[in-house]
Amino acid sequence: MNMWRIAIKEWATLRDVKMIIMMLATPVLLILIMGTAFTNSFNGSATVGEIRVLYEAPDGEGALAEAWGRFIRDAEAGGVRFERGSGAEDGKLGVQNKAYTGYVEVTEAGLRYYGNNRSGIEDGIVQGLLAAFADRYKLAAEAAKDPSGPQIPAWPGGAGADYVQETAIDAPMQPRAIDYYAIAMTTLIVMYIALSAGLFIEDERKRNTAVRLLAAPISKMDIFAGKILGMLLANTASIIAVVLISKYMFGANWGDNLWMVFLVLTTQIAFALSLGIGVSYMLKSSAAGAVTMTIIQLVALFGGSYHRIADDGTWFSEVARYSPLRWTNDGLVHLIYSDSYATASIAMLINIGFSVLLLAVAVAALRRREGL
Amino acid sequence: MNVLQINQLTKKFGDFVAVDRLSLTIKEGEIFGLLGANGAGKSTVINMVASLLRVTGGEIELLGKNIAKHTKFAKSNIGIVPQELAIYEDMTACENVKFFAGLYGLRGKELRSRAEEALAFTGLSDKRDSYPRSFSGGMKRRLNIACAIAHRPKLIIMDEPTVGIDPQSRNYILNSVKKLNEMGSTIIYTSHYMEEVEELCTRIAIIDHGKIIAEGTKAQLKAIITNQKDIGIELRSAEGLQAEKLKRIAGVNTVMLEGNVLSIGSDAEVNNLSSILQELMASGMEIRSMAANEPNLETVFLTLTGRSLRD
Ligand SMILES: Nc1ncnc2c1ncn2[C@@H]1O[C@H](COP(=O)(O)OP(=O)(O)OP(=O)(O)O)[C@@H](O)[C@H]1O
Ligand SMILES: [Mg+2]
Repeated sequence: MNMWRIAIKEWATLRDVKMIIMMLATPVLLILIMGTAFTNSFNGSATVGEIRVLYEAPDGEGALAEAWGRFIRDAEAGGVRFERGSGAEDGKLGVQNKAYTGYVEVTEAGLRYYGNNRSGIEDGIVQGLLAAFADRYKLAAEAAKDPSGPQIPAWPGGAGADYVQETAIDAPMQPRAIDYYAIAMTTLIVMYIALSAGLFIEDERKRNTAVRLLAAPISKMDIFAGKILGMLLANTASIIAVVLISKYMFGANWGDNLWMVFLVLTTQIAFALSLGIGVSYMLKSSAAGAVTMTIIQLVALFGGSYHRIADDGTWFSEVARYSPLRWTNDGLVHLIYSDSYATASIAMLINIGFSVLLLAVAVAALRRREGL
Repeated sequence: MNVLQINQLTKKFGDFVAVDRLSLTIKEGEIFGLLGANGAGKSTVINMVASLLRVTGGEIELLGKNIAKHTKFAKSNIGIVPQELAIYEDMTACENVKFFAGLYGLRGKELRSRAEEALAFTGLSDKRDSYPRSFSGGMKRRLNIACAIAHRPKLIIMDEPTVGIDPQSRNYILNSVKKLNEMGSTIIYTSHYMEEVEELCTRIAIIDHGKIIAEGTKAQLKAIITNQKDIGIELRSAEGLQAEKLKRIAGVNTVMLEGNVLSIGSDAEVNNLSSILQELMASGMEIRSMAANEPNLETVFLTLTGRSLRD
């Protein structure tokens, strides 16, 4: 109960109109500016990359061969090129070299797909296409995320696959600049929540209200949890507003599964909050802000916030694999463009995992501390 | 009944001893003054009573219960007016009071009426819906008090509630302290201002370097220095005054200058007036008037600690 009182108070201190406008306008403007400025790089094939997929399929007159042939002609019209490979080893090698987005084996027994999990959007699109194909021909489909990795089913089928079937082949499958930056700028702005979160105790200390909170018959954990809850709710509300504004005002594509998108974003907000709070408890207040800012910048740079990261095997793209922001961005892209929950689930797990870790550090420090 | 009993209380910050085996008893209905110079340890004592700081040693009992064991009980029965303003500028006066009172378990109608009561008490009723950023210093101080009293605590602790405000607001606050006391709250009041403490407090403790060096009623404290005389000398200009030389005169204990008025504390039985005057004339001082002052708490403090209350 006391936790909620403090959470509600957090809202009250946020209702400053200027503050709300800042919180909404900044990301919305960023989406608009980036989305417009980089339109060209998204129309040309240079940035998104032509999607090329290697395949092995039976020759001749069989039903499967015919269906497959029709399918790849449709796909080509949509911008995805399927090329016949020469053997499984070659195919996997092509994927590993990143010359191709994926390699698929088409047999009567089903589809076996080897995706390059570093190709983010492209991989998602191909999975979506194949799911649609598999669905149509009732093939059991399987895919391995990595040629060397364990083989896991690429799509769960069922209701989710229906959507792919309807739209994946016919709709323009590549995200436009506005679509990409709506995702990237929203997740970038979420990271910046860490900065204000890092000040959350500092704020109370500066206003001396920490003294009053501590003098009241409530526990430190109530105060701590209440403040986090309040910030989580307030920031989630504003991020949802950003998503809705970009969707309905700029027509950015957030897919059909908005609740899931919100859920992924909420876990990212939790991560950003925990990052700011964790760092502020680990370091002196003067250093904490600078360190948090540096982490945000690195995470954003390697997370693909400023430009899409081509998976070209450079050290940069290698480092990018470890950015939690990259996971969240990829998770959202897969969710929106291939209706696949797999990456989004990993992103959520990573966000929640980091949050728990960082908050545990903060709580340990809080318990030891004399004040807040 | 004892509202507060402090026993051998000690607080260390690292190696620094801020409060040193301090013992103190405060009875119900008292307005207890804690007098001390900057850094004497007043706030540190108060903050331990309010469970804001951990004690290094010793015990504190509130209403007969050990506060370390009954922290929630102790906190519920204390209202603290912190030395620094502690209010949310982005919530209205009324919301501030309601938020803090709510943390003490007040709900609904009772919460609302108590909040209104506290605002009325501090003369802020007509400002209930205004934001503190538009308030004067004195109004903010009053809101600072309102936030501490809405839950009707048994013990109200005020840490220098009148710092830096206009005389009008100060009078208002002093009167409300008396009223709160009449309404049944026991009060601990710290201040640098001797006059306030003299006017307000039923009992006073002088604290220096974390220790109580004298304790009692005004009369009792003044009695400590009956062997002390206080000479007031008004100068035309104090420019060029050499206080050190005056201090060296036999019998002189303290020399204090406020504006052009010099107060000299001296042993009562030493006849040193002519030496003092000679010294003043030798350094070219022009004397306008002279008087033998009643000893006041300021002199008591000066005699006991060897320093002025305010630097
Ligand atoms: N958190 C702290 N860490 C280290 N030293 C501290 C801390 N808080 C107070 N002190 C020291 O303890 C001593 C007592 O401080 P305290 O604030 O209790 O004095 P005070 O009597 O309230 O003074 P003032 O009249 O200036 O408010 C001071 O020397 C102060 O520097
Ligand atoms: Mg103090």
